[in-house]
Amino acid sequence: MAGAPDAQRWLSHHAARQRGWLLLAVAAGLAASAATLVQLALLAWIVSQLLVANAELASLTPAFLALASCLVLRALAQWTQEVAGQEASLRVRARVRAELLAHLAALGPVRGAAYPAGGVASQLVEQVEALDGFIARFLPQCILAVATPLAIVSCVAWLDWLAALFLLLAAPMIPLFMALVGVGAERVNREQFAAVTRLSGHFLDRVRGLTTLQLFDRTTEATREVEAAADHYRRLSLRPLRLAFLSSAVLEFFASVAIAVVAVYVGFGLLGYIGYGPSSELTLFSGLLILLLAPEFFQPLRSLAQHYHDRAAALGAARGMLTLLAERPHPQRHRASLTPGDSALVSLVDVTLAHPRRGRVLGPLDMTVLPGETLAITGPSGGGKSSLLHLLAGFVGPDSGRRCVRPGLRLAWLDQRPWLVQGSLADNLRLTAPHASDGELEAALAKVGLAELLARLPNGLDTPLGERGSGLSGGQAQRVALARLFLSEADLLLLDEPTAHLDEMSEGQVVAALQTLASEGRALVIATHHPALMRLASRCQYIAGGRLRELPGEANDG
Amino acid sequence: MGDGLGIGALRPWLRLLARRRRRLWVGAGLLGLTLLAAIGLLALSGWFITASALTGMAIRAGLDVHVPGGGIRAFAVTRTVARYLERLYNHDTVLRLLADLRGSLFAVLSRLDGATLAKQRSSDWLTRLTADIDTLDGLYLRLLAPPLVALALIGSLTAFLALWLPTLAGLVGAGLVLAWLWLSFGQAWLGMAASRAQVEHRQRLRSLSVEHLQGLAELEAHDCTARHRHRLLACERRLHAAQRRLARCTALGSALVGLVVGLAMLATLWLAAAAWQHDAVSGAVMVMLPLAVLAIGEALALLPNAFTSLGTTRTAAERLNALEAAERRAPSGRSRPLADGPLELSLEGVGLRYPGAWHMALDAVSLSLKGGSRLVLTGTSGAGKSTIAALLTRQLLPDTGDIRLNDIPLAEIDEGSLRERVALLGQRIDLFEGSLADNLRIADPAATDERLWQALDWATLADWAEALSAGLATPVGEGGHALSGGQARRLALARLWLRDPGLVILDEPFAGLDRATLASLVPRLDGWLRGRTALFLVHQLDDDSVAPPGVTHRAHLVEGELTDFARYCAIGQDDGKATTMPNEVRNG
Repeated sequence: MAGAPDAQRWLSHHAARQRGWLLLAVAAGLAASAATLVQLALLAWIVSQLLVANAELASLTPAFLALASCLVLRALAQWTQEVAGQEASLRVRARVRAELLAHLAALGPVRGAAYPAGGVASQLVEQVEALDGFIARFLPQCILAVATPLAIVSCVAWLDWLAALFLLLAAPMIPLFMALVGVGAERVNREQFAAVTRLSGHFLDRVRGLTTLQLFDRTTEATREVEAAADHYRRLSLRPLRLAFLSSAVLEFFASVAIAVVAVYVGFGLLGYIGYGPSSELTLFSGLLILLLAPEFFQPLRSLAQHYHDRAAALGAARGMLTLLAERPHPQRHRASLTPGDSALVSLVDVTLAHPRRGRVLGPLDMTVLPGETLAITGPSGGGKSSLLHLLAGFVGPDSGRRCVRPGLRLAWLDQRPWLVQGSLADNLRLTAPHASDGELEAALAKVGLAELLARLPNGLDTPLGERGSGLSGGQAQRVALARLFLSEADLLLLDEPTAHLDEMSEGQVVAALQTLASEGRALVIATHHPALMRLASRCQYIAGGRLRELPGEANDG
Repeated sequence: MGDGLGIGALRPWLRLLARRRRRLWVGAGLLGLTLLAAIGLLALSGWFITASALTGMAIRAGLDVHVPGGGIRAFAVTRTVARYLERLYNHDTVLRLLADLRGSLFAVLSRLDGATLAKQRSSDWLTRLTADIDTLDGLYLRLLAPPLVALALIGSLTAFLALWLPTLAGLVGAGLVLAWLWLSFGQAWLGMAASRAQVEHRQRLRSLSVEHLQGLAELEAHDCTARHRHRLLACERRLHAAQRRLARCTALGSALVGLVVGLAMLATLWLAAAAWQHDAVSGAVMVMLPLAVLAIGEALALLPNAFTSLGTTRTAAERLNALEAAERRAPSGRSRPLADGPLELSLEGVGLRYPGAWHMALDAVSLSLKGGSRLVLTGTSGAGKSTIAALLTRQLLPDTGDIRLNDIPLAEIDEGSLRERVALLGQRIDLFEGSLADNLRIADPAATDERLWQALDWATLADWAEALSAGLATPVGEGGHALSGGQARRLALARLWLRDPGLVILDEPFAGLDRATLASLVPRLDGWLRGRTALFLVHQLDDDSVAPPGVTHRAHLVEGELTDFARYCAIGQDDGKATTMPNEVRNG
């Protein structure tokens, strides 16, 4: 996992690119504060005019109207602040998502697939969303929490320096105060988060095992246990929280005490009980205004404390994403500009490939695939069959040696897990052949033996497939994926154990379909154990311990 | 206005909250007290300053400074203490509600049938479930307490104003109630479409992301990565559009709070000033009333954020409610017990199609076994083996056909008796967070430590367990990660051994076990299975793998259809009772 400073830097870098929107948010926030100041001053002035100067109410109509327009201005400014912050956040999130997707594409199918799809998907969705509060609210509020109290305290100082001193004493130093807020809020969050995580963990653990609990007739006990565990964690988490909540109480305390002290000071000053300092200068206007400004002095800090958990959430998410982004793509990937000799489609020259943990898994070896040939690669599992196919496809780059590819070579890929998405049958076929007509789709399905099934479907090609192709049997799913190969114009088809996990019937249909593909003049490279597929091959190679050797003659061991 | 907003979906959850009614009232009371003290502090301070200024000017002694001074101090202290208590108390409440919520939801989940539970295997389902529960966790503190407290404070404020100026109180009270209605229900209505769209698009984005990641190889080979990424980004744009709309609605609500409260303050000031000029109120009261109105903003400020995204809570509640609707169809009202001893088993024309599937998971499957026989059922994954196991353990009910144990229709068998007499070792081993002993006692809560050791010994795990420093108390860890696959499988076998089933179904029982282990385990299994009926589900029988012991029958499944049900000739364990079915059964 990346460290917190890296995460902070990376977030700042992304925030800096949205400086415009963030500055707008800050400017709007400042405008709202200014409008508040003017509004409160007008309120104090109106009161003072009425009570002290005995002005007629009607004569104060312009002041009332000015106050009303201040309210409208402030509302507009607040709206702008929120919307601008949100815009910055949306843009940052879009950029981060694009960065992650581009990085995954650069890593390629092999390194990209090393991470569980569910985990990476949650980074792309939930983790990116977790940046929202930090960008939209926390960052602008960081500046406002310093600027607004400073403006207010200067205003109060101008009215009465002793009252300003009270405010400053209540918050000795704003940075120190913010640190206090931060530590407390962070702690509350950590504890709450930990309690909820432990709880969810326990709950999910039991939900995952529900079938077993049902089979052993233990669901009633388990329900009681879930409740008991929740109660246990509640008691565990409350003890540290008793302390952690003190931080929010401290903020509340300072805010209340400051108002109380200011009120008593101003009141006694106005009564003439205080014989020193600037209190003799106090008027109803200045006294009332100081009182009204006191809560506003603390408001930005309280908002900041509320948004503090956004920061922790964003940093946590950023750390996770940086771990993925720190993985570097292989330097040799996508550097196959060399053209192979002898009209070959693709050739590997003296290549080796190492795995970060397992050491060298392949090579040194040489290999050439000629147009139209069918090449079977066999060997023990872990012997390097898949790695060799990955290298041929360019999903990984060789650590040494060269991969040469005929310019404009079109590839197609199929492995033992057919890739199906939520959508109709046609959507799934068009994933890799966006421009195929319905007729072409039907023809491709017929070639993989699915014509009969298609005829039975009431909605034909528009029949939905459900999540991950649920609804299809394993054999049907593999044949749908195979139909995509017929739709492609690829010259070279790379197939990794295309018949694994299939029953005899589906197996036979897949073999027949591959034979058709071969007869269309395409080159096939098939990693397989299957005798029928090996018989299909014009050439058969054996790979073990990462070394390749030719199997003599036809490979028909039956 | 309830059901336009889908409040109906929240009803079951509100009922759940009602179980802790007293706590909720106390929590809301503390929240109200905090806000009330804030209002009192500002209003009284304003009164005091004005009174002081007027007294000072008139050089008129007689203002008792101790009462308002004490009041200000009291409000300040109340506000601090009430805030602290409120946070502590309400946090405790939220965690208690969390326990209730999880408990009642777990009870619902535990009644789900096998098909619904099978969906859990997608981590997506669990992610969604967790997110939905988290959303509902905030029901009380976000959606229930704040509007009630705000309404109560508006009432108190109106009553307070009415002490001096009833007309003003009526006017301001009516205005604030209208504002309250808008800030809660109005905002919910305004944000409903966007917040529901947000949930929907986020979910879609998630499944597109998973698809994108799973298809990286195909996409790159076919040179379609960019195209699929565009689809993903188009979905992201729709998500962001919804979020942008939602943010604007929320911002509108927040801005309105300040505006409405400010205008109410201004109206109060105008009317109070007019009253003062007619000597109806004192100057200090004239200042106190608008300040009290101004201070109510804090109570209303909590509303727009929570209510604008009510749609999120509603969607979460709807999804969880749907689980309740999917509860297992209850077996028929009869509950006949199963006798001791090996169970006789028969399936007659059993067919099942999973919802949304294009093909039958099982099609007209018929077979029967006398008590004490052992059947090995082969087939590739997805051929229907696990479906048969789920049917025999009544996790699923067949669409067609008849299943009987000891000639009693499966649906009529007593639940407890069925669980006691039919045991299943599934392909997926569920181990729970807890100790080794906890995991074993799921099978027999009353088992002594000695018996647990016997079970471990039988499953060839005793040596391993004795080497552990904590022995039976060793934590097994979340999902049993501390154990290897083979150990987990043997632990699950030990769990079965603790019971006395008449029918044992073993799904790939030897997967992940090495030959040396099997050499000692298989004879023990053979011995334990004597006097029980057994069903082995295996991928294939070939020379490489260790054969299940003492098999009397075999059958093969292809895409849900049974082929070659026959007496197993290789092993001559003939109890003379096994019936052989005709070899037909193919009717595609």
